[in-house]
Amino acid sequence: MPEVIPDIERDEKSKSESAKEPGYLVVCWNDPVNLMDYVTHVFQTVFAWQRPKAELHMKQVHNLGKSVLVRESLEKAEHYVHQLQKYSLHATMERDE
Amino acid sequence: MKLLRVENDRFFFQLIPREKDLLEIVLRLYPVIPPTHQVLSKSSTADKANQHLLDEALAEQRSENKKRVEDLLTNPGRFRKSGDAIEMILMASEIEWVLQVLNDVHVGNWVLIGSPEQRPRFSPISKHARFIVAMDLACMFESQLLEAISLSS
Repeated sequence: MPEVIPDIERDEKSKSESAKEPGYLVVCWNDPVNLMDYVTHVFQTVFAWQRPKAELHMKQVHNLGKSVLVRESLEKAEHYVHQLQKYSLHATMERDE
Repeated sequence: MKLLRVENDRFFFQLIPREKDLLEIVLRLYPVIPPTHQVLSKSSTADKANQHLLDEALAEQRSENKKRVEDLLTNPGRFRKSGDAIEMILMASEIEWVLQVLNDVHVGNWVLIGSPEQRPRFSPISKHARFIVAMDLACMFESQLLEAISLSS
């Protein structure tokens, strides 16, 4: 019976490549507690956005219940979620499907 | 608390003594948000290891901010008497973590009273009274800091 050797090298390579693909969405969700000015300020600080862009996303969060802030690789998406959560915003990352 | 001036990346605020006491009380409440409150993903995108890493990073952040609060409040150079008022000096680089601390107290107390959709009305006999007071005080100082940032830019 032939011995089947798992293709570990290729699996790890594809996993690592998948982590670099911009397939993850960083989402900020609405809550009734965070101040609108605060949310705008955090978006400006974390993403280095100009105020109009930050306000646009803040309004999406407020009016639509959520806003997709960026589409990034796994590592970068995790980084941004951590940055947003440091400010106590309700942020998560979701796979873009 | 009002912004007096900004000089060389230093923000000078004026507080009346009672405000300074309240700011100190609010800052010392930190951290309030329960450690397991934040999740990395709503779906199954994040595995347990990634969630664990996030929990660890946030715990480290909380510990660092708690130390910063203590350093700020015990540094005599940061609060000085000026007539009947108190002058507080914050470096521009410190504003961000002070905002993080204040918002943690703001959001954390909201979580403790059950994350209501409507802002609860204050009643001194409510079992939530102290949480609502803390939430509102943190929110007030947060607004004043945001206004200061806006004025200085």
